[in-house]
Amino acid sequence: MFKKIGRALTVSVFSLIIAGAAGAQEKPKVAFVPQLIGIPYFNAMEAGGNKAAKELGVDFIYSGPVDTNPVDQLQIVQSLIDQGVGAISVSVLDASSIAPVVKAAEAKGIKLFTSDSDAPESGRAVYVAQATDEGLGSTIIDELVKRVGEDAKIGIVSGEATASNLNAWIGFMQKQASAKYPKLQLLEPQYAGGTAQRAAQISTDLMAANPDLKAIIAVASTTCPGVAQAIETAGKTGSVIGTGYCSPNTARSYIKSGAFGFSVLWDPARLGYLTVWAGKQLIDGKKFEAENKVPGFDQAVTYDAQKGILLLGPPAVFTAENVDKFDF
Amino acid sequence: MNRVRNLQGPALVLSLLSLLWIIVILGLLALKPSALSVGTITTILQFSTILALVSLGQGMVILAGGAGIDLSVGGTVSLSAVLGMLVLKAGLSPFFLPFVCIGTGTALGAFNGVLVMKLRILPLIATLGTFFVYSGVALSLTGGSAQSGVPDWLLWWGRGVLAGIPVPFLTIAVPAFALAGIVLAWTSWGRWVYAMGFNERSARLVGVPVDRARLILYSLSGTLAGAAALFSLAWLGSGRPNIGQNLELESLTAAMLGGIAIFGGRGGVGGVFAAVMLLVTLKTGLLQLNVNTVWQVGIVGALLIFVLLADRFSQSWR
Amino acid sequence: MRQLKDGIFSLNGRELALLAACTLAIIVFSVASPYFGTPGNAATILRNSVELLLVGLGMTLLLAMGGIDVSVGIVMGLAAICVGRALEANTDPVLTALVGPIIGALLGLVTAAVVVLGRIPAIVGTLGLLGIYRTAIFILLGGQWLSGLPTGLTVLLGTSLLGVPIAAFVIVLAYIAVWVALRRTPFGLHLLAIGNSEEKARLSGIPVAKVRFATFIISGALAGLAATFYVASYRNVEMTIGSTLALDAIAAVVLGGTSILGGKCSLVGTVLGVLLLRILQNGLLLMGVPSLWQPVVTGGLLIGVLSVEVLSARLPMSPLGWARR
Repeated sequence: MFKKIGRALTVSVFSLIIAGAAGAQEKPKVAFVPQLIGIPYFNAMEAGGNKAAKELGVDFIYSGPVDTNPVDQLQIVQSLIDQGVGAISVSVLDASSIAPVVKAAEAKGIKLFTSDSDAPESGRAVYVAQATDEGLGSTIIDELVKRVGEDAKIGIVSGEATASNLNAWIGFMQKQASAKYPKLQLLEPQYAGGTAQRAAQISTDLMAANPDLKAIIAVASTTCPGVAQAIETAGKTGSVIGTGYCSPNTARSYIKSGAFGFSVLWDPARLGYLTVWAGKQLIDGKKFEAENKVPGFDQAVTYDAQKGILLLGPPAVFTAENVDKFDF
Repeated sequence: MNRVRNLQGPALVLSLLSLLWIIVILGLLALKPSALSVGTITTILQFSTILALVSLGQGMVILAGGAGIDLSVGGTVSLSAVLGMLVLKAGLSPFFLPFVCIGTGTALGAFNGVLVMKLRILPLIATLGTFFVYSGVALSLTGGSAQSGVPDWLLWWGRGVLAGIPVPFLTIAVPAFALAGIVLAWTSWGRWVYAMGFNERSARLVGVPVDRARLILYSLSGTLAGAAALFSLAWLGSGRPNIGQNLELESLTAAMLGGIAIFGGRGGVGGVFAAVMLLVTLKTGLLQLNVNTVWQVGIVGALLIFVLLADRFSQSWR
Repeated sequence: MRQLKDGIFSLNGRELALLAACTLAIIVFSVASPYFGTPGNAATILRNSVELLLVGLGMTLLLAMGGIDVSVGIVMGLAAICVGRALEANTDPVLTALVGPIIGALLGLVTAAVVVLGRIPAIVGTLGLLGIYRTAIFILLGGQWLSGLPTGLTVLLGTSLLGVPIAAFVIVLAYIAVWVALRRTPFGLHLLAIGNSEEKARLSGIPVAKVRFATFIISGALAGLAATFYVASYRNVEMTIGSTLALDAIAAVVLGGTSILGGKCSLVGTVLGVLLLRILQNGLLLMGVPSLWQPVVTGGLLIGVLSVEVLSARLPMSPLGWARR
């Protein structure tokens, strides 16, 4: 019995040393820590990251918390740092609490950068952005105004009240509305947490409280199905336009039924790809140019050296006409 | 008789937990030798501080019996952290921040104690109510946004490491456990806690001030939650309105795993400490091996059931 | 026995008080907001109460027995995944509607096996199962939510029978079934007897283990039925499904006058408790109170109602039921 265990141990230790040595020689490791695992959006980013890992010759680690809990996220980042992963990117849950791990990474010479959700003042190496927060906020308002006019009442349903990226988008929506469309009335954002049921409940109540409501914006991807379902159930399809940052697969049936007018999103798989690519650049010690050629990307990826932002490109708008062309 | 039962259960659980802990460490060593470094130990201790403090309070409340339980610990941590920062923003000198956090925690805990002991609301329900209220108020007051502006000297304490051991762990978690252990084992207060947990009626008959003791224990649970809140501020550098999320269930898991009987009167703080270490080491180990995080919750759940079953069946064999 | 009598007394009082509270809330909100007292909004409140009500009925039975189940929301989630998969496979809608309760009952059986056979306190055993079930949800969904599911079930439950949707019949039937089981069968008597004192129940020859098994299975089946309704109305199953349901249900049931000590419960109270919570949540949002305050309202109501009850009755300290040995 003990012999067997001993042998198994020796074999595994040897194979690990060999694997470790081989890895150290050839394959740098890039990790991505999402805000939450088990949701389609980050799953798509993982798929893109895996594709990049294969093509660029790196090892890709994808690991995230099961609740949107920043301490759990920090623990995951910290353990990646302890493992000595070459570069770690984080979709930050809370910008203000990431500072301890940034310091720890620096101390070990590990490149820590952000992706998908930023922590601008934390000292991260770079931010791989799907689009600027400003662009995301204003696009959705501009697109909505095209459909409901400038004189409309619009509700906002977000996920966790503590998600700093979602709050930033809401901030830019409000800014865009007050700067460009003074007649537009944005209601106070409501927070549904992570469940579709709560999102549906809150949206129904919003529609009841504001019979003249023209549109509802689902800010977190977790709230999209709830908002859409509430519009369908209330029989307000057509009179209230739903929209949000939802993947085409999640929003497809609602866009077709008319409950959703459109959806704004980028391709998360490409964002995952770009994240891994950026990680490899950082490990290799290569500088980002103002315009970067990334394998598999038709257009060059721009880099804002002043803010340290690598930009995927403008967000895409999915409508009934083009939604079937996308699968993520 | 009383004494014998007090000793046997916890001793068994403690050895079981230590055995499991050694298995986790050996497993990690076998699968990934590089993972065991001073850095990893620092990480484990740093991340166990909040859970350790909160579980200690939870464990003592349960230990004192009377169906004692504190579901509001997570809410207490969040609200203490947020209130501390809000008061700071309102212009209070940062020097008072530690007192505000710990004071708020104590007050919130004492409120639980009043609900339970004075109004006779069952602990599960009273603290379920305050769980909703505390965590809800923490979110509503801030609108969900984190409150920054923690003074530098506090950060220096919260992020400091001494010989591989995080300073906050050394300066609050360890003393808190040592003190609780000593009080429970060697003072009349400690014996009262066991006595009232084991058999409330006889404890009352021999003159143990059950109500006062329990009120103090609920406040103490709040104090420890307040200390955890202070540590979270000093470590993260901001007050988060949901920092205590899930702590109620996690601390309950740790206390149960640590051999504290849900009916009270049985168990010890050593077991709770071992359970917290086991939980955090297990989590860290699984992360180091890059095991998908979805398995963590399931493994912890299975572990809880397993340890309780082992404890239960060892009793029926006796 | 004394406790049972007390139970019936305070129970009536509580039911009346809740009814009065609901009426008062409805009047206040109707005056405060022109959009509250509309048929559409009433339907919304009822619609949003269904899952909590069904899970609450099961929780009422569990608490009355001196048990508890903190994993019940996640059980609903697991059942919802199975219902969703059945819908995707284009199973006959009637069969699909049965999938939920069956899976729920099976999971209830698992819970009962752990709690009853393992002789682990219910709160701790179900806490452990909560973790295991959550992992199961992650693995079953694998990051791909079920969304935009076919409408088969929605159409079935929405079909009118004598001018009333089938959904309403199902819910009323479920309520009547639970009521009959509790008040008109030996099972109900046994359940309450166990809640009063498990030891005495055992000594008087009640098949304690069997009754406890049955109660967990019934509670699971009700959670599964809630899953059927969830999928029918949201046509969507996400990873966080049901995560807050168990604690909400406990709050609503206790609000309704059921004691977690066991031996005393009120099904009408549970219905009223659920409705009062939903009316307050809906009404406050209509008046423009941010949704972040909703948990504060739930918790405050719970503490307030219980404090008032205790203060007004000046009850002597009751024996501690679920910690009784």
